[in-house]
Amino acid sequence: MTTPAATRTVGAEGQGGGDWRATRRLPRAAREANAALAVAARDVTSTLKNPGSMITALLMPVLIMGMIGGTLMQNMADGLGFDFGEFMLVGMVVNMLFMMTTMGMISLVDDSDDNYSAELLVAPVSRYAIVVGKILGSSFLALVSCGGVLAVGAVMGTTLALWQLLALLALAPLMCLSGGALAMIVMGVIKNNKTANVAVMLITMPQMFLAGVIIPISQSSGLLGALSRAMPMTYCVDLGRAVIYAGRPDYDAVVMFNPAVNLVGVAALTAVCLVVGTWLYARSEKHR
Amino acid sequence: MSVIEVENLVKRYKRAKQPAVKSIGFEVQEGEFFAFLGPNGAGKTTTISILTTTLAKTAGAVRIAGFDVDTQHHQVRDHIGIIFQRPNLDRTLTAEENIRIHACLYGMYVYRPAFKMMPASYRERVERLAGIVGVTDALFTRVSQLSGGMQRKFEVIRSLTHTPHVLFLDEPTQGLDAVARHDLWDYLNQIRREWGTTVFLTTHYIDEAEGADTVCLIDRGEIALCCPPEEMKRRLGAATLEDAYVDYLRHAADAAVPSLVSPAGSSRRKSTPAGASALSAEPEGDRRFGS
Repeated sequence: MTTPAATRTVGAEGQGGGDWRATRRLPRAAREANAALAVAARDVTSTLKNPGSMITALLMPVLIMGMIGGTLMQNMADGLGFDFGEFMLVGMVVNMLFMMTTMGMISLVDDSDDNYSAELLVAPVSRYAIVVGKILGSSFLALVSCGGVLAVGAVMGTTLALWQLLALLALAPLMCLSGGALAMIVMGVIKNNKTANVAVMLITMPQMFLAGVIIPISQSSGLLGALSRAMPMTYCVDLGRAVIYAGRPDYDAVVMFNPAVNLVGVAALTAVCLVVGTWLYARSEKHR
Repeated sequence: MSVIEVENLVKRYKRAKQPAVKSIGFEVQEGEFFAFLGPNGAGKTTTISILTTTLAKTAGAVRIAGFDVDTQHHQVRDHIGIIFQRPNLDRTLTAEENIRIHACLYGMYVYRPAFKMMPASYRERVERLAGIVGVTDALFTRVSQLSGGMQRKFEVIRSLTHTPHVLFLDEPTQGLDAVARHDLWDYLNQIRREWGTTVFLTTHYIDEAEGADTVCLIDRGEIALCCPPEEMKRRLGAATLEDAYVDYLRHAADAAVPSLVSPAGSSRRKSTPAGASALSAEPEGDRRFGS
């Protein structure tokens, strides 16, 4: 066995000029961040070239918020002690960030089908850079769908103040990361597109009801109460509402947990899902 | 210097009764053109997958450019380029966008959202590579609108963007017509001449291996023959490498063919870094593949 070869640097390079064959590379940490950015950019570019996915992302809130939420608002919103429209709007913004990112992670299975995953997996970057890049890329469509939520809310007569919108946007990376990390638990073991679609629906749809996106869950108990507290989105939704309702008289009627509890809950569940999901993904691709 | 070192490599897939690869060993020298041949299911793609770090081995040792594929896979990936058996450009993107993402994955450039915003060295590199193979006009065409041959050429460009030490070609011309095969090999040979890149080829088109420095034949997970093509033809009394290959496989079961594997089970023949002298002596107009 021979000693390792030095990284071949044919000539000076960098961001301008130099030998066109040069191979100088970015430092390791910068390379990881750049790789995640490139993976995300690929998904964003693909999304922009696919108007169908954009239209679907915009129509999703019409179905969920306009039809389900609208019906609830007209028939069951009285006597809650808070504005149901605003309650639902905040919940839906968080829900779309979480759910659309989760659904976007199915593209990992598509990549496996198209063999593009091979291109990603032979790149000299960590699997975390690939997964985080995928989550970032998926979150673009999630943000588009949030635009749909705000539009539907406006039609229904409910809007957010600019500071409220900016506050939710500030929380968006955490919400998207949480949704994407949860999806990785599924994507790490499923290699079939149809199965992945069903599995993602199975983990996102129940959460929409159990996490209190549209229907309040403060009185949930027993199995439903336990399930709601095991769902990462519960803490995401409650954290979003804690920020929006902070200092208001209806805070206690809307928010269930201390924001610190929410933050720890989201961070812990996200970290566990991200580590386990990425490990499963890398392992399933390599250990056959 | 050996750039690929394989010792006692074993791969047994989950739930498989027999190993797909049974304790094989070989070495490939820097700049060598190494052809890894064998029938379907012989273990070619399994071996190349292990060498390129996309598949875990069961036992044995594999080093690429001096780095262990298990413990130093990042360094290994830094030194290799791969053309996969199944085409895998992103069909929704343009060819250039595929190349740009590849270059950024390999840490060569900071990602920017448009070709014009990328550094001059990147633009020059991509245009130069595209110019060599004559696909400059198609750089900004969506991959789904390109022919199979054009897509393959862009895959070659992509795999060479980071100037790899070793280029793995896993049946690179599968599905291409004769003209596209010729064009692709012309390009690959030009790259070998100019860069001295080590090439590890698996193919079912045996004529593509005629110009190889070493031909290694794997059969049922074991190395059957490993020697220069001329020696293989001489030992088997065949006029062409394809005849030798077919003759060997037909008679392998009889064990009548003498083993050409070296005592260590390895190809240790030295070759010039790029095989440049041999290539320059080649008559013009010679259309042999891999020459």
